[in-house]
Amino acid sequence: MNARRIITGLSMILKMLVRRRIILISLVVIPVAFLTGVELTASEKIIPFRLASLDEKIFIEHSQKGIALVFFAVANTGFLVSFLALNLIQIDSDVNRRLVICGYHPFELLISNMLSLFLVIFSIAIYIGLLIHGFVSIKHLLLFIFGLMLIGFVYGCYGLIIGSMIKGKLEGILLVFLLANIDVGWLQNPMYYAEAHNNIIIRYLPAYYPSQSVIIAAFTDYSVFNAAFYSILIGSGFLIISMLIFYNKMRLKK
Amino acid sequence: MILKAENIAKAFGNNKVLKNVPFEMGPSSLYGIVGENGSGKSTLLKIIVGEWKSDHGTISVKGRLGYCPQRTLLFSRLTVEEHFRYFAAAYGIEKTALFSRTELLMHHFNFKKYRSERIDRLSGGTLQKISLAIALLHQPDLLILDEPYNGFDWDTYLRFWDYTNHLKTEGCAILIVTHLITEKERFDKVYNLSDGQLT
Repeated sequence: MNARRIITGLSMILKMLVRRRIILISLVVIPVAFLTGVELTASEKIIPFRLASLDEKIFIEHSQKGIALVFFAVANTGFLVSFLALNLIQIDSDVNRRLVICGYHPFELLISNMLSLFLVIFSIAIYIGLLIHGFVSIKHLLLFIFGLMLIGFVYGCYGLIIGSMIKGKLEGILLVFLLANIDVGWLQNPMYYAEAHNNIIIRYLPAYYPSQSVIIAAFTDYSVFNAAFYSILIGSGFLIISMLIFYNKMRLKK
Repeated sequence: MILKAENIAKAFGNNKVLKNVPFEMGPSSLYGIVGENGSGKSTLLKIIVGEWKSDHGTISVKGRLGYCPQRTLLFSRLTVEEHFRYFAAAYGIEKTALFSRTELLMHHFNFKKYRSERIDRLSGGTLQKISLAIALLHQPDLLILDEPYNGFDWDTYLRFWDYTNHLKTEGCAILIVTHLITEKERFDKVYNLSDGQLT
């Protein structure tokens, strides 16, 4: 491993990211579109709901708008980070291959990409966390932002897997948005989840633990430790899988 | 020998593109490989540089390898200078050496004025020059060029041969793959890749 290569890779990847107009536009437009949608449609009616990772007898009461805003913070972060991760690893993969032929180790490139992704996750989580806090009072803001980082970590690593595996851009976007939409954008919604007939399936989806940790931090004083621990475990699993696929794809075949 | 390839075989399904191809190159040599479209020229190069695995056979390369692929593989959102910095990190070239080599290549191939331009704002011919310059940046011992002068104007074509001859006298082995060779006398040997074999 060569630190100069990793740092050069990181700086070039970040330059390429900020020069992509679609990335900057999505960072501004998507959260604003979600927020406007909630602001225009959700009511202030107080709704009781249960959280799957807490005791069954515990009911949380909050306004429909507040719940929707927090849920959309999770969905937004998941969507944005997985899309960016897919872009990071998939676009220019042929040029990255040339870098490997010229002397880069595939892991050096992967580490540069991962560091870029972590910076992106960090920035998006803080940005969306603070943005949501402007509309709804969050009980534990730092833990809430940490929870958003966890959903970013899990879905970012999922994006890395898809980006390493799938060559076609459209196919990649479809696979990322399909799972993100079903999981983080629908099934993990506490208002849907609380009434679901079969929530076992929902518990096995990747966004389950991170979204639980975000909602616990936003509305309760309960510990997020378990949810955070399992989120990191799932994210790390995805990360290892993506590293193996990327290495196998990029290594020199000699 | 700088490059020694023994019994290289590669098939895509039932299509046997390379059939036990032997190939070797020593220092200060300039070889060409010609062949029809789809004859397996690029496949052979991709196997030599390690991009693809052969079904059979061994490859041995001694020294630094420079490779200019057929497609100009460059990052569309980086500038010319940023490319040199990125690839210099890959080659392990120090900053001071990088500056002098970059200046020399930009001057020789006449694209100095584009040094701060992003790749997606440059013409195809300029991209080809930059791609070639990247392959030359670390002063390779073995230079492999896949259709290198497609898109070059006449002046750049001549400059290309100037530089190639200079490299050859310095001991570099140069392998050029193209579908069309107009000046055979420039080469030490020209092979024809046909029906999976070099003749």
